[in-house]
Amino acid sequence: MLKKIEILADAAKYDVSCSSSGSSRSNQKGGLGNAASCGICHSFTEDGRCISLLKILFSNICIYDCAYCVNRKTNDIPRAAFKVEELVDLTVSFYRRNYIEGLFLSSGVMVSPDFTMERLIAVARSLRQEHQFNGYIHMKAIPGASQDLIEEAGLYADRLSVNIEIPSEGNLKLLAPEKDFPSVLNPMSQIANRIISNKEERKKYRKAPRFVPAGQSTQLIVGASPERDFDILKLASELYNGKNLKRVYYSGYVPVNTSDSRLPVLQRPPLVRENRLYQADWLMRFYQFGYDEILDDRHDTLDMNMDPKLAWALRNPHFFPVDLNYAPYEMILRIPGIGVRSARLIVANRKWGKISFLHLRRMGVALNRAKYFILCRELPEKGYKLQPEQVKRKLVKSNENIGVQLSLFE
Amino acid sequence: MFEIRLQYDGTFDGFLSLVFYAFENKTEPKEIAKPANVSQDLFSEVIEVETHTAKAERVWKGLVNKSSLKNARLISVAFMSELPGIEVLLWRYLKKVFTFPQKDFYQNMLDEDVYQVVQTARKVKKEVHRFHGFVRFQQTADNIWFAPIEPDHDIIPLLVPHFKNRYSGQPWVIYDTRRKYGIYYDTESVSEVFIEYPALDLNTGRLSEKAKGSHEDDYLHLWQQYYNSINIQLRENKKQMTRLMPRRYWKYLPERNR
Repeated sequence: MLKKIEILADAAKYDVSCSSSGSSRSNQKGGLGNAASCGICHSFTEDGRCISLLKILFSNICIYDCAYCVNRKTNDIPRAAFKVEELVDLTVSFYRRNYIEGLFLSSGVMVSPDFTMERLIAVARSLRQEHQFNGYIHMKAIPGASQDLIEEAGLYADRLSVNIEIPSEGNLKLLAPEKDFPSVLNPMSQIANRIISNKEERKKYRKAPRFVPAGQSTQLIVGASPERDFDILKLASELYNGKNLKRVYYSGYVPVNTSDSRLPVLQRPPLVRENRLYQADWLMRFYQFGYDEILDDRHDTLDMNMDPKLAWALRNPHFFPVDLNYAPYEMILRIPGIGVRSARLIVANRKWGKISFLHLRRMGVALNRAKYFILCRELPEKGYKLQPEQVKRKLVKSNENIGVQLSLFE
Repeated sequence: MFEIRLQYDGTFDGFLSLVFYAFENKTEPKEIAKPANVSQDLFSEVIEVETHTAKAERVWKGLVNKSSLKNARLISVAFMSELPGIEVLLWRYLKKVFTFPQKDFYQNMLDEDVYQVVQTARKVKKEVHRFHGFVRFQQTADNIWFAPIEPDHDIIPLLVPHFKNRYSGQPWVIYDTRRKYGIYYDTESVSEVFIEYPALDLNTGRLSEKAKGSHEDDYLHLWQQYYNSINIQLRENKKQMTRLMPRRYWKYLPERNR
């Protein structure tokens, strides 16, 4: 069992999704567990990532040969597979000890997509039906699996995900000859449509079983193929709007197959780029930015030296300064250094007096950045009156000072 | 003039009773503290206020009605911080709420006291959220799930609703080794427990050989193996890990403390 965990956790670790949020399910009498809608991290590994779910492969045996994947069939690595009961027992035992928030189950493709999907479903079914397990389950929908199987999986899982991995069809075909976009997008559409029809059903019959209550997500590998940041954000935006995805994850390519000439040679995964993409993603999901505002065909690459909100502000000086005492919430959200919480507080605080530096500091605003873009008590009428170039020089340090990994919430 | 120092039993009900007393007698306390912490000097008078559940209840209801449930919850959470001086701070805050009732008073960042109370409550809530994840149960030989914790703030009462809901079918104890009390849930209801010498190693939180269940070590090793295997060495970032999971919490986390 120790050996299996070593192999199958190791093989699962390159999938970056870990979140356990977005689903709230209460426990039933005599049952085990519930799903907390805010998501809970149970531990953190030395790479600084959170452990929320038991992220593991059912098996790392795979019939495919995708260039970017550590589990491809031509790699000479130890292979293993769980038995259904083993994985169920492991999940329940970890859950009872509060090691984990639930299970994130994926697998290499054994024999065929349907064969694999059936094994994953057997685990989820046993957890839900035999063990009354109400914890979080995130399952992969294996591309190519039949519609019936995906339907059944959706009734047990809180979240389903189909990974696109390579952000353009041409490069996907190059790196993963057995895969194509339709094999990924078809199950994604099926899930998206079922989520919508399920919402309708549940309006009519409150007892109708829920289908993937936490929505679906996908992962894009960044840096294994030459797509521009603009292409990646455009794709993500289409997925959020067109397919109603809850999350798109960006995974900086970890060079696992160094000898493959189709892949770039990297010393370390592109962590700063990955972080900038997450910041841009945040802007789209919580700050009401469109992908074509963050980047466009002329500016198609995210600036590694500054966060995308600051970059947008410097490219759009006509938008500033924003008067914190009168501007609407949506405009305040666009000021560098001001987050969702502080934007709300600013609006709420107006009735008690003019917004001042003291207020802003107490609200957690990063004044060193925000001050160039605002009007408030200390900065009436015209504000700082600096040209974008001058602001940039003040705020952006030289390349050497950029840490390897930046916090997501800087 | 004498300064007044008020003394109470350290419970939240006790504090609310004290608030009732101070309003009734128009007292302006210089200090509010538990008996062990009250300072004594020639120029002050120490008054001991008794705990009355009914009076505490009236203050709580008044608070909810005059402001909002959110405001009232904020007070109760900040109280659990046990930070020195928190009682006087909350007293000042309550006085303002009762004098000028406002539903969203807790958002007023112009007010120094509001800011302090909100910051304190945020610290406590952050720790509660962390411990929803960092609590580690071990199965005992008599089939109770036992978890030692050592949080900065007195958060056990705030942890109960989450764990009661999640593990409704298994009896458990969450025990604070510094404050020397815990909560026992017997699958029906919860009660406080005081254990003078718990059967565990206080350096690791592990149950003693006699006390622990027969499979405990097996799953512990599987968990440690999992923790090691899921890490990506090429992405190493220990600073980030320590920021998100500070060292002071590692003692009872078997994946960090082996």
